Order: sequence, then structure tokens, then C-alpha cells
Amino acid sequence: MDPGLRLMERVRARDVAAFEQLYDGYHRLVFGIGLRMLGEPALAEDLTQAVFLKVWTAPDAFRGGSFVAWVSRVARNRALDTLRSKAARPEAEIPADIPLEGALDDDVFSRIDAQRVRDALMVLPPEQRTLIEMGFFGGITHQEIARRTATPLGTVKTRIRGGLRKLRETLGERVSQ
Amino acid sequence: MSVDLDREAMLENVALHALGVLPRAEIPAVEAFIARDPEARREYDDLRAAADTIAQVAIEPVDSTRSARMKERLLARVRDDAAAGTVARRRIGPNPALTWGMGLAAAAAVVFGIVSVIQDVGLRSDLAASQSRTAALQTQLAQSERVGASDRRTLTDLIAPDAKRYEVANGAVVVRGGHVYFAFSKLPALPRGRVYQAWTIAKGAKTPAPSVTFTPNADGVAVVALPAEAGKLAAVAVSVEPDGGSKAPTTKPTFVRPLT
Repeated sequence: MDPGLRLMERVRARDVAAFEQLYDGYHRLVFGIGLRMLGEPALAEDLTQAVFLKVWTAPDAFRGGSFVAWVSRVARNRALDTLRSKAARPEAEIPADIPLEGALDDDVFSRIDAQRVRDALMVLPPEQRTLIEMGFFGGITHQEIARRTATPLGTVKTRIRGGLRKLRETLGERVSQ
Repeated sequence: MSVDLDREAMLENVALHALGVLPRAEIPAVEAFIARDPEARREYDDLRAAADTIAQVAIEPVDSTRSARMKERLLARVRDDAAAGTVARRRIGPNPALTWGMGLAAAAAVVFGIVSVIQDVGLRSDLAASQSRTAALQTQLAQSERVGASDRRTLTDLIAPDAKRYEVANGAVVVRGGHVYFAFSKLPALPRGRVYQAWTIAKGAKTPAPSVTFTPNADGVAVVALPAEAGKLAAVAVSVEPDGGSKAPTTKPTFVRPLT
């Protein structure tokens, strides 16, 4: 079971110790997303504060599933808000937090650590990996990705889809080992 | 053949949506496709799950000084809040300093006061009763050591006789001293993954700027302090948006209220 899931049940009951454990376990992830997307440690720190305050003040916003995935999306959305407030941004939209069906289940997700994801990304051809990371951390549309990389739009679409499918396949193989 | 090509193009858009790089304008068509096509749904679920894992490569070691400072700040807030209890858990917007945290006794009085304020919109003739209630509320608030300065300011503004109140569906927009608040009662609950989002329209602006997101408590009550200067605003609005908020309204606003 995702340890974050268990801890969030206690946070809903206003358990400060559980919140502290959540912070200890996930603040490096949230800070890292902030740093990667915003580029400034001070902004990443503010983002980390805001995300964990949301965890405490609105625990019902997390409605099950993978806590890691959820808190990552919250951090990513928060970083996008910051980017948007600093400059006009292309209109990419992170999907709403809808439950996933039949995908990597919660237990499997909890066993995928950062190194496994890095390894899985390294399996991808560079032209796929670059576009996916640019899209994920850049907060830009596929059209902007195409423009910045001088790649035809159709090629960007095909590479992103192919890369994500390969990533899913590789992670699925690894976690089943 | 053409149908197959169109379908393949849509499946590529499904992947783009899973990664979060699809322009907003194209999302409704893709979500409709996902909703009616089981294979597209499976593809979306699989690719979204894969995309979600990518965040993990961002994990960074945080230096011990910074980590301790962040933790100390957070836990101070959280412990205060845990000691005080909460009334309505609100979503944190761009200004986390506006979070609520107050004693239960004061909270009950506050919620009652908020509802009373809402009910009082348009009933200016009942000023004497309102002032009496204000005094009683302020006395109770003063007795609560747990009510923070910002919370007290919010409450004072909400119930002040000189506050400007603009009636809207399910509540009021309250403006006082440069501060803008929403006070709602019986606000309809939203489906999973949806939140209310406030918007501000600056004087001379043609498009709304995104503000805080929020959800009402179980009784439909929500009090929201907007991180904006009232004097610079021409209007405020609220719409229903995906969890996390949007940068421009994606649904018809539940209201648009000029502040004139």
C-alpha cells in the first residue's frame, strides 16, 4: 500500500505526526519539481510550503489512488501557476485529477522509485525523451515544443505517444520483476 | 481509411493530453473521445500513469538548513491549526497567508456571523441589530486567543457596517478597506475533480486573471479572501474549473459582479 495513502488517512484526522512523516517522505519530490520547473530555489521553497499547506488544509482534495502521483500533479500545477504569473504562457493544460482505471495500480506505483523512472527514461531514444521531459517540466504545449525544437508537429505527436507507451511498457516490466 | 487516420490522430492527442501538453481548446474533443471509446480510455489511463511517474526524476536533495527551515515554518502553522481546529477547509490559493485557523467557539460564531451577513444583504434597515451582532461577535472573537490577526481582520471586514456588499448567487461579494471577500452559503457541492475558482478583472483589462480556488464546507459555506486590491478591480467572477484551477475560465461563470 502506498505509504502516502495511509498517512493521508491520518492527516484527515488532523494527525500532525502523520503530516510530518508525509513532509519528510515527499518534500524532496515537491521541492525538486519546483526547482526543475521554476529554476530558483527560493521559488521552489515557496512552492513546497504551498503544496504541503494544501495537503494539511484540504486533505479531502486527495481522493485516493497514488499519493505520489497526486502530490506531483499538485506541485506541477502550482509551478505552472507561478510561471503563468511571471509571463504569458502557452495554454497547455494538465489533466484534472481523475481516477485512473486499469493502469499501474497504487501498490505498483509505490514501488516505482526515481532510479527506475530514470532508467526507464534512458531506454527511450533521446528524441522521444527530450520532448517528453520538455513537455512535462516546461508547462508548454506540443505546438510550442515543436517550435522550440524545430520539429514538425506531427513528429512531435508521434514521438510523445511512442515515448509514453514505451515508458509505460518498461515500467510495467520492471515492477513485475 | 480516413476514419482510421482520424482515429489515429485522436489517439495521438490522447497521449498529448496524458502528458499535459494539449492546448486547452482541444481538450473537450479529446475528453469526449476518451469518454466514448474504451480503447482510448485504456490508452489514456496507461499513458497518464506513465506520465505521472516522470515527476520522480525531479527528486532533489534539499540542504539540511533549507529543509529544517521549511519544516519548521510548516509545522508551526500546522500545529496552530491542529490546536485550533478548523471551520471549513479551504483550498490554498496563491496567497497561503490567508488560510483560516481558529478556535471552535469562535468558529461557530464566525460561521453564524457569515450566514447572518449573507442573509442581511439588502437589509440595511436592520443596522441596529447588525451592529449588536457585530459587537457580540467581536467580543467572542476577542476572547479567543487562537484567532490570528489576519482571520480577525477578515471577520471584522465581513461584518463591518461600512463594508460594501454586492449580492451574488448564493452569497455576497464584500469589499472593505481595499480587501475583497466572497462569502457564500449553500454553495452547491461540486463533483470530484472540480473546484470553484475566483477571477479578477482589473480596471481597463479585457480578460480575467486567475485567482484562488476554493470549495465550500459540508454546509455549503465558503469564505474566501481574494489576494487583490479592491481599488484596482473592475469586477470579480467565479466559475467551476478542474482541480488545481485554470488560467482562463473554461466554463460559463456562475456570476460576474462589477464592483461599482
